[in-house]
Amino acid sequence: MARAIWSGSISFGMVSIPVKLFGATESKDISFNLLHATCGSRLQQRRWCPTDEVDVPWAETARGYEYSKGQYVMLTEEDFERLPLPSKHTIELTSFVEEKEIDPVFYERSYYLEPGERAEKPYALLLRALEQRKLTAVATITIRKKEQLCAIRAHEGTIVLETLFYPDEIRLERGMDLSGVKVSDRELDMAFTLIDIFRKPFDPTEYHDHYREALAELIEAKLEGKQVVKAPAARETRVIDLADALKRSVEAAKKEAAKPKPPARARTRASRPARRTRKVG
Amino acid sequence: MSRVGTEVESVLEQLEARQPKMVLTIDEYELPVTNLEKVLWPGAGRHRALTKRDLLRYLTRVSSWLLPHLKGRPMFTTRYPDGITGKSFYQKHWDKPPKFARTVSIYSSHNEGDGEYLICDNLPTLLFLAQMGGLELHPWFSRVDPAPDARGRSRKFSGSEANLERSVLNYPDFVVIDLDPYLYSGREGKGEEPELHRKAFKRTRELALRLRELLGRLGLTIYVKTSGRTGLHLYLPIVRKFDYDAARSIAETIGRYVLQQWPKEVTLEWTVVRRTGKIFFDYNQNTRGKSLASILCPRRHPLGTVSMPVHWEDLEEIYPTDFTIRTVPDILEDRGDPWANILESKQDLSELLEQRSAG
Repeated sequence: MARAIWSGSISFGMVSIPVKLFGATESKDISFNLLHATCGSRLQQRRWCPTDEVDVPWAETARGYEYSKGQYVMLTEEDFERLPLPSKHTIELTSFVEEKEIDPVFYERSYYLEPGERAEKPYALLLRALEQRKLTAVATITIRKKEQLCAIRAHEGTIVLETLFYPDEIRLERGMDLSGVKVSDRELDMAFTLIDIFRKPFDPTEYHDHYREALAELIEAKLEGKQVVKAPAARETRVIDLADALKRSVEAAKKEAAKPKPPARARTRASRPARRTRKVG
Repeated sequence: MSRVGTEVESVLEQLEARQPKMVLTIDEYELPVTNLEKVLWPGAGRHRALTKRDLLRYLTRVSSWLLPHLKGRPMFTTRYPDGITGKSFYQKHWDKPPKFARTVSIYSSHNEGDGEYLICDNLPTLLFLAQMGGLELHPWFSRVDPAPDARGRSRKFSGSEANLERSVLNYPDFVVIDLDPYLYSGREGKGEEPELHRKAFKRTRELALRLRELLGRLGLTIYVKTSGRTGLHLYLPIVRKFDYDAARSIAETIGRYVLQQWPKEVTLEWTVVRRTGKIFFDYNQNTRGKSLASILCPRRHPLGTVSMPVHWEDLEEIYPTDFTIRTVPDILEDRGDPWANILESKQDLSELLEQRSAG
């Protein structure tokens, strides 16, 4: 299993159960790097200070809260460390509710909780109690500097922790008010019939990310060079491209040579690949 | 028989004597050699171990083919005093080189001063290196003699980095490409480099053939040799109008082009993890002071394989372990050196590159 992202204990009443937290979900989106479309170079992200006109190293960064347009209050690492975080290494159970009392709109992310060292017994006890009473515990946990509301429930033999949005994070503005719209019983019956036709148990394995699959196929095809239909003719032009690229590279090297050079020592170090210190040819 | 031929015959005859050490007389020079029965390559299977005496015999027999490729080139060596299973180290500079050895004083930015480099121009120097356990020979891609294609370039290599950069030693004779398969056989231990195996060599060979075809369409002729280990070395001999930076840039551009065309086969990555499963196209050796193992140079492989020049037409037929310090002298006597004329086959890249700019 992957590395635990958090470890601590569940506490309620006099009981404390050591647990580890693992992400239950992962995004399978294919990620891309941003390139310069005209030359294919990978774009660099720079932290640029427009006042000093320099690239800024991480060590010189701080977080600023924009309290009014262009006005910031700056917070340092020490400021963050001084903040009170009571639930730092505990999951503090506060109440037990029925699962359906929590609307799905509150659910943020799912994690698996695993028993910590020698905690199998109390863990199993909590799991079974939740299963048999069909209850969900409401608790707080601090993950990555943020205190979060969470729900703890039994799911297929494991305790699952769902982080929840706080109520003030749920947007209140809804769609338009539809209470005045009239719907007849006949129309409603028709809707019920339609729904019944599509009624079946939920099977998530039936669903795939078709977009991702198509994207993966496209990338594969590009790698194989399949997008080039007229191979022989295209190859000729591509060789001429190589000649052009060679010409450009030599011109660039000449320009580079004409520039004043940094101290030789630094330059030789930088151009030395790591492995070559040990193996040559 | 020529004087060189006589010299070779004489050394081979002296090495026939069964003593563990002796003083070799080579022409007017004397070279003490010791520990002649020391095992340098352990051998494997039906191949018996190879000793220092075997190495001296090998170098003597191939010297007339090997020395022309080392001529005028500053070089360094990888010394294996206790054979290939023992520890090894590079040696670049020699405090007291023997009097028969040619040396050249070159500024080293690393040492921030001048250092004496050896140039291996004659048989006694070659055998001296072997006596020192210097199995691997690494000559520079540039050389101290400007004739015939770099006349007018400076021969002052010492004193400063600027002197060296202006000198003929900044202009290599070759653009080199090292194809190094990171295709594991599955028998390697953790952290070990990939060992030689058929499938990996086949894929490396196919890539080399594609490169030959690609450069051929630009009118360029490239030479191929086995690295003596798992890969292939490709050399493009060029008229010395371009310095190392340009040579490196040319090799890198070819590398990027090839990577674009065969992204599943090729990698330019520096980290070993990201090279795995692909053939590493190494253009980084096109740097002043760097080198690949010389043509005909023995390598670190239990059978005593050497880096062997081959005809492109034969590439499909050969396998790196065909060429060992035991087999190569006969092969050379039989068929000669496919690279013998490499310096007479130099290509003027400026014609290609400037012609492009006109069109």
